Amino acid sequence: MRFLLLCLAALLASCSHPGSEKVLTIAVNAGVEGSALKAAAHEWGELRTTRIEVVELPYANLFEKESLDLQSRSGAYDVIMMDDPWFPKLVADGGLTPLAHEPDADFLASTLAVCSNAGKYYALPYVGNSQLFFYRKDLFDKYNLGAPDRWEKILNDAKTIGAGEKMFGYVMRAAPGNSAVTDFMPLLWAFGGDIFDAQGRPNLASPEAIEALRFMVELGKYSPPGYAGFNAAEVSAQLLQGTAVMSINWPAWIAAMDDPSKSKVTGKIEFAPMPAARLPGVAELGAWLLAIPAGSAHRDAASDFIAWATEPAQMTQAAVRGNPPTRRSVFQSPDLVKKFRAFPAQLAALEAARPRPRTTQWNEIENAFGVSLSQANSGAATPEAAMQQANREIAAILARSK
Amino acid sequence: MTRRIPPGLIWVAPALFVLAALSIYPLLYLIKVSLTDSHGITLANYARLFQDRLFSVAAGQTLLYAAFALAFEFFLGLGLALLIDSLVHGRALIRVGLLAPMLLPPVVAAVIWRLIYNPEFGVLNGMLRQLGINTANLTWTSGRSSAMLSVILVDVWEWTPFLFLLLTAGLQAIPAEPLEAARVDGAGYWQTLRDVILPLLKPVILLALLLRSMDLLRIFDQIFLLTQGGPGSATETVSLYIYRTAFRFSNFGYAAAMSFVGLVITMLAARGLMRLMRV
Repeated sequence: MRFLLLCLAALLASCSHPGSEKVLTIAVNAGVEGSALKAAAHEWGELRTTRIEVVELPYANLFEKESLDLQSRSGAYDVIMMDDPWFPKLVADGGLTPLAHEPDADFLASTLAVCSNAGKYYALPYVGNSQLFFYRKDLFDKYNLGAPDRWEKILNDAKTIGAGEKMFGYVMRAAPGNSAVTDFMPLLWAFGGDIFDAQGRPNLASPEAIEALRFMVELGKYSPPGYAGFNAAEVSAQLLQGTAVMSINWPAWIAAMDDPSKSKVTGKIEFAPMPAARLPGVAELGAWLLAIPAGSAHRDAASDFIAWATEPAQMTQAAVRGNPPTRRSVFQSPDLVKKFRAFPAQLAALEAARPRPRTTQWNEIENAFGVSLSQANSGAATPEAAMQQANREIAAILARSK
Repeated sequence: MTRRIPPGLIWVAPALFVLAALSIYPLLYLIKVSLTDSHGITLANYARLFQDRLFSVAAGQTLLYAAFALAFEFFLGLGLALLIDSLVHGRALIRVGLLAPMLLPPVVAAVIWRLIYNPEFGVLNGMLRQLGINTANLTWTSGRSSAMLSVILVDVWEWTPFLFLLLTAGLQAIPAEPLEAARVDGAGYWQTLRDVILPLLKPVILLALLLRSMDLLRIFDQIFLLTQGGPGSATETVSLYIYRTAFRFSNFGYAAAMSFVGLVITMLAARGLMRLMRV
């Protein structure tokens, strides 16, 4: 009997009280960006003997979970991973903790610029995403076409190669919301347009913006049918299957292009900066940031983790796991350049990349704008009507927020 | 003189408490949130409903979706129930087979159909190409005119078995005597169906239509997964718009106002349906 009681006592003692153990909870995006952070978090947990809980959420749900946590200060997460356009909204509610130290100069300026508010840093850039232009180098060589550096040339090349190879000359994504806006922004900027003018008023009814959308719709004639409903996965599937010649895409897909288990075009895709039109080409920035919610009960540990995860050595590890870095030294590491042939193009694109407008209303603006773009691409509205409608709706969103 | 608590009240108190906690309090809270914005108590969220183009588009499309899906599902479900009820052998097996789509989680059903509808690699266009049909413009969920039809078809595929199940149960509950009396009186099949079976099935039909229409008016998951409301806003529904407004745009006041109006519309539709059936 005594033995049984001793066994029971030992068993109870081995069950630690959940409240007494430090647990660091990290919200990450489900995808390659989040996978690398997840692996890093577990390594850090072993190093610091801290239990790690990773909450992996799809892109569409990550913002809502983080936003609710920050607004209610529930302390559900100690570290959050966020897409850079979410930063203005999340920081505006006072839900983020300012960083204890200024970031060092090795971080690329374009990625740091989206981490501060009113002179204070509230996040560190972890994934250095910026768009790249993916194209079939083998087919461009076959038809003696130079590199796709201008949009007008790309339209002609799409016609030539598409007709010659019986494939789609171009593939884009124009599903409403983030997809359509993301593929349109480089065109808008290259044609000299922008969402807002210098005074911050919506400027999508400008001749430059309408011309950019007209061009997008024209380019859509060489895209697979149904592209007005495509997201990133469908665009990449067309490239991987060898059914489309070129597209705008994110660096996260580079590894898949050269992976024989996923791709029919290994070694045939080349990566270039965004093409130009009236103005030089500019890629859209899509950096992933790490920040600490103000409601976190483990802010010191969270701060230690973020500093550790963004050190050059850890960022090199993350790069090997598939994440584009945000540090110049990592991009220029000879070993990594040898391993990742697109690194020079990625660095050039990232240095010149432009963020989406820094407004707390971005999600709503992107939705309204994306619906109009998708309508124009599906033939439900003319480019003029679509841009005027987007302009009106963005003006209404801004008016409501005042 | 002290007033005594009626003994019945004590017995129903737990049920009243649960009702208040789960239904009445959330509803009152929803109304309170809908009447609040950053400036305090206001009717601005309700006023905005009348000026919001996206809301009116979403409301119109939700009604269209619900009306077409309900009509297809009801007539198909009734036809199948009558057909299978008339079989002598194999009824149980066919019933189980027909229920399969309804047993799938809506997310799984939507993913399956997303793969089926893929214009390039999907099985549907693949089969049509085998039959020599040009599928170049058959983009299903991505086409501005075909997107709504495509999502309705998925709903019909998944939820016709629900109506079939309820109507089959109703048919089996019809007593044999009126049917025999109709036969003795010389009524044919269609006359028996019109004058005997359907009137006796009316309460079940009403219940089935009520349950299904309430579900259809709040459709979210399938459309979210299949089209995200696109292309453009071709398949945008009220539930999708409410979700985006609350959780993407963080505007809970306006989302609550839309939800409350949606609730009132659903209740009115249910009441209208009951009046139509004269129950």
